[in-house]
Amino acid sequence: MKLAYYPGCTLHGTAREYDASTKAVCRAAGVDLVEIDDWNCCGALEAIFDKELSMGLSARNNFKAQKTGLDLVIPCSICSHNLSRADTAMKNDEAFRTKIERALGEKYNGVKIKHLLDVIVNDIGTDAISRKFTKSLKGIKAVAYYGCLLVRPSEVSKFDNPENPMPLDNLIKSTGADCLPFTQKTKCCGGNLLMSKQDYAFLLTKKLFDEAKAAGANCVVVACPMCHMLLDGQQTTIEKAHNTVIDMPVLYFTQLIGLAMGISEKELELDKNMVPTSKLIDSIGKGETKAEVKGATTEGAKAEEAEAAE
Amino acid sequence: MIKSSDLDPNFKYEISNEPGGENIKKCFNCTGCTVGCPVTEIDKSYNPRIILRKALLGMRKEVLADDSLWLCASCYICYERCPQDVKITEVIGAIRAIAQREAKAGKIKITNDKSLFDHLFIDSVKSNGKWYEAGVSGMFMLKTKGIGGAIGYAPMVLELFKKGKLSIMPHKIKGTKEIKRIFEEVEKK
Repeated sequence: MKLAYYPGCTLHGTAREYDASTKAVCRAAGVDLVEIDDWNCCGALEAIFDKELSMGLSARNNFKAQKTGLDLVIPCSICSHNLSRADTAMKNDEAFRTKIERALGEKYNGVKIKHLLDVIVNDIGTDAISRKFTKSLKGIKAVAYYGCLLVRPSEVSKFDNPENPMPLDNLIKSTGADCLPFTQKTKCCGGNLLMSKQDYAFLLTKKLFDEAKAAGANCVVVACPMCHMLLDGQQTTIEKAHNTVIDMPVLYFTQLIGLAMGISEKELELDKNMVPTSKLIDSIGKGETKAEVKGATTEGAKAEEAEAAE
Repeated sequence: MIKSSDLDPNFKYEISNEPGGENIKKCFNCTGCTVGCPVTEIDKSYNPRIILRKALLGMRKEVLADDSLWLCASCYICYERCPQDVKITEVIGAIRAIAQREAKAGKIKITNDKSLFDHLFIDSVKSNGKWYEAGVSGMFMLKTKGIGGAIGYAPMVLELFKKGKLSIMPHKIKGTKEIKRIFEEVEKK
């Protein structure tokens, strides 16, 4: 499989471990990523007051992707939302298309855009990717955090159930890790208020951790650099502001499945996460073989343990 | 008490003419937006239904100058659940666009810092093609918290820098002229 790749600004900055782990996992899964040439910022959620500007900035990247003749994959939920929305508007809104085609001096035909998680669980398939796993992640007790734009609005994201999605839960389970029920899985982390209304952003993120802890999780798994910025990057600041201890590693889903694929911690840049990940890595059960991973439902694992005890 | 003589009946048309605001008149004020709103959960005074109702009634100045216009976290829960397809997140964006024009013309004052951050962000994209994280965040901190407040972030900045996650200089793309032309085209309303 060969795909055009749009990393977006954060993956070349604060979310560099998402970029590194995306590339490592795709390489191991046989997906060839071709980064699009001279891409620009999609406007994030900072251009929401100017819908045409937001879509215009995004559309330039779609033109660049179109040139590759490949489908486009995007790991960031905000970028993926913006570029998908721009593609729809370029196809359906003639006045807008005319403006942007005039600005860029090219004709637009359209490009197929998908979030990286969508590609992994649906195009490659959770079963197929789990056949590449060589190491059980039993010992990790995760909650799957989808956040907002990966699933909403569903008319743009076209990815699973917008209220109670399951694909990331199932992907986590396929590594042999536990994935616990989490009613906050599509609640907002407040990322867009981080700069302007930090106390609100922190309250929203803290609510996620409160439930993750109550569920017995030892890590949160995410698929968006903005969510990661709040949950991982701001975690110690939230602890200080609320005089509490959270101490919960937050992994990109690519870092998690990369570990199951046997990719090194260095290549997955687990040292770049702000909350240390070493304790979590140590909690992964040692000495398990691939045969055990295959029967990796929790019950299957329990039955095996019982047999071993006898 | 709302005085009908103070209302601006054209306000709803003004909003529906703004990109993103097209569907505001479909709202029948069912409150579905507000019951699911994560910001309302932590601040009961934030009420998207009331923003929409006031806008439809024509309480123009009150809606445009209200700080709560800037509290939407753009999480799209209301957008997803709205039975009338009002596309509330984008309607809020459209009202923000009007508020910013009014502020620029000196007719209202925006007290919330969200508008400042958005403008610093977009200006950096306009000149570089990418967002200049260190520069924009630093300038925002200086403008809103002063030097003393900004210095408080030094340990985090240092750690990000040590991890190779923050670039001191902006990254500039080759196609900045194309970015400029996109800005020019969308500014022609």
